[in-house]
Amino acid sequence: MESSQTSASSGPEATSQDNPPTAARRIADRISAMGSAAQATVPGAYAWAVTVAPVAWSHGAGTLSKMGAIVALIALGAGSLGERMWGRRGRLASLWGFVLASATSWSAAPDALASRRIDAPHGLAGMLGWGLFGLVLAAPSLEGSGRPATVPDAGPPIARRRLARADAVCVLGAAAIAVSMQFIGWGVASAERALLVRFVALAAGLAVIDAGATVALAQHARRVQRPVPARLRSSMVPLVALGMLALAGLLFALRG
Amino acid sequence: MIQLPGALAISFVVGGAVAFALGATALAEAEDLSAIYWLAVGAICVRASAQLARPGART
Repeated sequence: MESSQTSASSGPEATSQDNPPTAARRIADRISAMGSAAQATVPGAYAWAVTVAPVAWSHGAGTLSKMGAIVALIALGAGSLGERMWGRRGRLASLWGFVLASATSWSAAPDALASRRIDAPHGLAGMLGWGLFGLVLAAPSLEGSGRPATVPDAGPPIARRRLARADAVCVLGAAAIAVSMQFIGWGVASAERALLVRFVALAAGLAVIDAGATVALAQHARRVQRPVPARLRSSMVPLVALGMLALAGLLFALRG
Repeated sequence: MIQLPGALAISFVVGGAVAFALGATALAEAEDLSAIYWLAVGAICVRASAQLARPGART
């Protein structure tokens, strides 16, 4: 009995020691050791290549614009070194250096930013690049696999339950609604409005999926079920706001 | 068996989805006031559904 317990407890350790880390794991460990500033250089370089470089080297752009673009790239590249030497301050200096130098480059060539020169896919790619850069820089850096896993000692694990059919219908229905929203507004002529419609439809779809998943999961929550009056009381604010909006809409429709 | 708050929450999700769709359509047709109205209705419907579905404290 004792020997079987010993072998069972030492089994996973022996497995983790015997198995060498894979190439993907080694790459992930190496990236995680770099820090968030180094990880942000990839989306930063993408944002620079999509939005700053075309402006700085466009027709009619001056020397100041080119200098700003070069300084921005240097500030971005120096972020990794700065974070190693000065920690958070180095990362902030890199961020602001990159952003301000890019802004200088844009300001020195205002004609290149005219709406007639920026089409919708180009603008969307630039927005995505800057968004990813901000997200990666603000988020904590990826954690490596070298850290020991922290498993709370809260008894035996609970068996994973199968998804009930009603829950699947609820979540899939919400997903279908979200997908159907993507068919709205493809005939809009104005590029700005078309982008806005796409953004609103995407956000609305995500909100519906989130609400559907929340409702489906709430049916199985291992919590004390509140009585119906208490639930209605807790949702009184949105219900009253909804009633006021319905009344306002009714009055507006009657007036119109 | 779905209880009354659950059924209400599902109906609010559906109502919110319809309102969002109406808002996006109005936005595409450059009817900004209607778009804002329907998007606000959709957001409040979704919020109300989450509040209704939320159970009590952990056991």
